[in-house]
Amino acid sequence: MIGVDTVGVAAKLGTAADTATAIPQLAAEVGLDVPTAYGVQAALVQRRLDRGERLVGLKMGLTSKAKMAQVGVDEVIWGRLTDAMRVPDGGAVDPAAYIHPRVEPEVAFLLDRLPEPGEPVGDFASAVRAVAPAIELIDSRYADFRFSLPDVIADNTSAAAFVIGPWSPVPTGLDNLGVLLEVDGRVVQVGSTAAILGDPRRALDEGIRLAGRHGVRLQSGWVFLAGAATAAVPLRPGVHVRAVVEKLGAASLRASS
Amino acid sequence: MKADIEAANRELAEARTTGRPCPPLRGRLLAEGDVESAYRVQQLQSRAWQGRGERRVGAKIGLTSRAVQESFGVFQPDFGMLTDAMAVADGAEVAIDRLLQPRVEAEIAFVLGKDLPDPRITTVDLVRAVDHVLPAIEIVDSRIAAWDISIVDTVADNASSGLFVLGTTPRRLADVDLRLCGMVLEHAGEPVSVGAGAACLGNPLHALHWLAGTMARAGDPLRAGDVVLSGALGPMVPVTPGAAYEARISGLGSVRTCFSTEGQ
Repeated sequence: MIGVDTVGVAAKLGTAADTATAIPQLAAEVGLDVPTAYGVQAALVQRRLDRGERLVGLKMGLTSKAKMAQVGVDEVIWGRLTDAMRVPDGGAVDPAAYIHPRVEPEVAFLLDRLPEPGEPVGDFASAVRAVAPAIELIDSRYADFRFSLPDVIADNTSAAAFVIGPWSPVPTGLDNLGVLLEVDGRVVQVGSTAAILGDPRRALDEGIRLAGRHGVRLQSGWVFLAGAATAAVPLRPGVHVRAVVEKLGAASLRASS
Repeated sequence: MKADIEAANRELAEARTTGRPCPPLRGRLLAEGDVESAYRVQQLQSRAWQGRGERRVGAKIGLTSRAVQESFGVFQPDFGMLTDAMAVADGAEVAIDRLLQPRVEAEIAFVLGKDLPDPRITTVDLVRAVDHVLPAIEIVDSRIAAWDISIVDTVADNASSGLFVLGTTPRRLADVDLRLCGMVLEHAGEPVSVGAGAACLGNPLHALHWLAGTMARAGDPLRAGDVVLSGALGPMVPVTPGAAYEARISGLGSVRTCFSTEGQ
């Protein structure tokens, strides 16, 4: 699309994140379509790289039928992760640094040997070195957490922070591991990795395919967040959040008050 | 209002016979919240089924999800009776006209190896009493029009039970993570319901615990050989005529059911 000032749009989203201030949706106003929205996302993440952050992985979004239906699309989306977004397992985040933070339980892959561009992931076991329970902290920069598809893509798919639990070898039955999200020790969401495209391994194929369209090639050593296994819940000040995944253990974070 | 237990029993029996649901019983034949009378209606029905030769083979537990309890405004589960006539073989086609408005849900079934006569039961007693667990699909159904049910409607209607399908891969408790086991119910290769063990009262064993205590107190304890459907591990799904469903529970294996398109 001609005439969209991707850097200018990215600056608005970047400032919204830096100042924890919501902005109105902008895709309709500036005429963003999906490819242009990915261009805005690239410019938005470039702002982070320019200040010294490193690209460390990819995350998938809209990986459940329910979320796709909610946004009215039938394709998953992807965003970029930087080192500054990573919170150590058991570490603290400050909810006030975000606009309306939410947390969701996920599974993370540690990438190993990736296929050449255009090749499918023939062998998941060689593409993924390890898997881990994870928490993704999402924070839409748009008011009321409401957005169109190009809006959310431009906003780096609401990526804000993430926690990775202990890495394990790929277990059997990865397509249907039970997942719990606990807040202060109480179970608030229950799901299964089956909620992630029916099998989280499919998310990696999709990630490679969709990111490849935009010239992004996944790297050995990167982290890959496959998608949420349950609905997200708001992160309140002072709470302890834990994601528990069958066979994989738990990842946790604490929200400062 | 005074409960009209006989009339409630008659209407439910007629709904089953004719295949036409009846209006909600609450506020009409049973007072809102009169759970005790509702269980008496249930008892009349189960006596009638046993009177015509059906054999009681166990029980089902309902209202085990926090979300469902909140929507009902009740904070304990309920139960209904299972008879041999409700059992369907793994993978066998179910004639859709056996049911009024069926829905499916995936559950863990406990099969008992010991009687549980003591109401003061402990977790140790339970663990020792469970012989094995099986994956199960419960085909729930309601004789109340449009599933417009309250606690008294569903209790009177045998906890909205319909039919049940057990898998054939017995596992010991030691081999299963009852709380964390993932569940996916698939239709045509797509997940239509997902969840995990904890969706059932935090742990399906807690549901069994509640039922064993409740039935022992009522003088009608669970017995060796009984099967207990412990409660849904994810949202229930309305049945599409002609459709097949497969439930997989991590560590327990799988079980499936399918439905005819038309009455036969």
